[in-house]
Amino acid sequence: MRMLAVIDRDLKKFRRNPLVVGMSIIMPLLYLVILGNSFQGKLHHLPLVVVDLDPGPSSRRLVENLHALEHGALELLTITHLVDDRQAIAGVASGEFKAALVIPPDFSRRQTIAARPEVALFLDNSDIISADTLRAAIQGAVNAIPEEHVAIRESNVMVHLRDINLYPKVDYFQSLVPGVVIMAIFLGALTTGAFNLVMDRFLGVDESYLMTPLTKADIVGGLIVSGLCITTIMAFVIFVASMLITGIPFSHWLGRTPMVLVIVVLTTLGLQSLMFLILGQFHHPRIVGILSGFLNVILFFPSGAVYPIASFPGWLRGFARFNPEAYAVHALKAVLFKDSGFATILGDLTFLLCFTAIMLVLAVVTFRRAE
Amino acid sequence: MAAEPATMVEVHEITRKFGDFVAVDHVSFDVKAGEIFGFLGPNGAGKTTLIRMLTTLLTPTSGGAMVAGVELTEKPAAVRRAIGVVPQALTSDLDLTGRENMDIYGRFYGIPAEQLKERVKALLELVNLTNRADELVAAYSGGMRRRLEIARGLVHRPRLLFLDEPTIGLDPQSRRLVWQFIDAMRQSERMTIFLTTHYMEEAEALCDRIAIIDAGRIIAMGTPAELKTSVAGSDVVTLRLAPPLEPALARLTGLPFVHSVTVEDGEARVALDHGAEHLPRLIEEVAAAGGKVLAATIHELSLEDVFIHYTGKSIRQEETKKVSFLVGAGIPQKWGR
Repeated sequence: MRMLAVIDRDLKKFRRNPLVVGMSIIMPLLYLVILGNSFQGKLHHLPLVVVDLDPGPSSRRLVENLHALEHGALELLTITHLVDDRQAIAGVASGEFKAALVIPPDFSRRQTIAARPEVALFLDNSDIISADTLRAAIQGAVNAIPEEHVAIRESNVMVHLRDINLYPKVDYFQSLVPGVVIMAIFLGALTTGAFNLVMDRFLGVDESYLMTPLTKADIVGGLIVSGLCITTIMAFVIFVASMLITGIPFSHWLGRTPMVLVIVVLTTLGLQSLMFLILGQFHHPRIVGILSGFLNVILFFPSGAVYPIASFPGWLRGFARFNPEAYAVHALKAVLFKDSGFATILGDLTFLLCFTAIMLVLAVVTFRRAE
Repeated sequence: MAAEPATMVEVHEITRKFGDFVAVDHVSFDVKAGEIFGFLGPNGAGKTTLIRMLTTLLTPTSGGAMVAGVELTEKPAAVRRAIGVVPQALTSDLDLTGRENMDIYGRFYGIPAEQLKERVKALLELVNLTNRADELVAAYSGGMRRRLEIARGLVHRPRLLFLDEPTIGLDPQSRRLVWQFIDAMRQSERMTIFLTTHYMEEAEALCDRIAIIDAGRIIAMGTPAELKTSVAGSDVVTLRLAPPLEPALARLTGLPFVHSVTVEDGEARVALDHGAEHLPRLIEEVAAAGGKVLAATIHELSLEDVFIHYTGKSIRQEETKKVSFLVGAGIPQKWGR
């Protein structure tokens, strides 16, 4: 089998470049740690400056409500008290605070006589995410001013929403794991397989095998299979490491490992074939650098790994229907977090299989050995 | 196995263009089975373009060729099975050992494992690399890599071996070693060898027949002896003259025993017979024309002189011109090789 010689050559060369192996594993894990810890799904420690010019019973009540948010489980706020409203607003302008809440001198009196009491919130609305969160949180604190006591019984006239989680709780950090595995596959597909062909062309080494009886299928297939071996191992190492880092119990994912492996292998084959189709046309590794960022953006972000596809605009949802990473993320999420069986992900696997077959055929057909 | 054809390479009007640039221009020639055929020319003459076409890496723009009895463009896979190639650039994998390079290359040809092991061992011995065979090629010198690649090109016992500038960039000692290997291979393997070179002494030492190529065209072809006899005069006297040159050159050209006079780098190259006998007369004639001979040398007519005769310039001169032209025009160097 001539193709085996191509695979052997590629694997030997990869093994002798431990830096590439290490970087390929570390990069997705760094992504997991940095993205997981920087986003975390909810905001924390938003700096708020409070200027209480009243200070009456209602303003004290409002400040207490805000302190409850500061010291609650989410630790949403970090509150600073000032006496000068101009200094507080200047602090927002300089970026020291995300917002300044000014309680006017007659706030409690107006509250008592029900004369349209008002507080002023000066927001740094250049940071829309923080501004929206602060506005909602402070509105809640303001609304809660009249509540004199904590109810011990549910009201019979209020409608109560009972939410029931169908699956075990998944926090934001854990929810990133499928995306991290897919990113590892993407990086693997980018730095093995077709990339080695580009490097061989760049170094002029490709002539050594283009002038042999190797067929196009031997060359393309061999490089893709060697890339598949390397990428699958990398993705699996990252999968296990991600599980450990995010604290998903060993017992939870051990039984799902074979299905995860099937998804990883199919996704890798699909992306390796896609990369061969694209990178197989180029002769300089610089193009890989340029394309990597572009391909990552168009494949990873519309995959549903960090944001639900249902919330995309129509055209992006349309693109996601042809994005192999979207099917891979969906399948991995179903297997890891919903304990779904094979039948649930059959559609995803079928798409990945068809995608791989089409890309593989195109990669072989478009690969040119003679100029 | 099919019987070996009497003519291993038959090239008919082969042409390759890159845009408007004609790298190989209607070239025709034959290479007989068992001979070493050399293509001699400066960098940029079209030698590598021609070899890349004959080894299936480039498609001819027009014309065609039969290689090892197989039509080149119709059955490129059959051509690849029959030939061995040692490209000009070093193409062995630096991340593999010498032995691994040989082994993997042999597997590309589907050679059974046991047979391959024996062949690799024998070839590594032939090129004196047995002791370094299990080291990474990254640790090899240029000469060692070249020897390894020649051995690698032989691992499947090709009937026809293409060597593109086999000694380029090697020191004189390594160059002579490579010549010895090529000669030994020809004796032991009875193969046909097609080589390109821009070294006159290499062409003269190795080749049964030589084609001189310049600017994509063959300008002369024959055995080294035939090429030399095609130029009148058995000796060349090189005279370094004090300026002005013109009166002295006119005087020398008019002498009855002088066949031709060419000027290169301020030196007059006088082709004649019995150079040592006529040298005093030449010096006298220059003096009579009001000139002065600063230095004089005599050598037997060489291929360099043949090249100058046919092209009007030396290979060295042509190399400098071609390289600067290609760099300036932004044309990839391999096009012009």
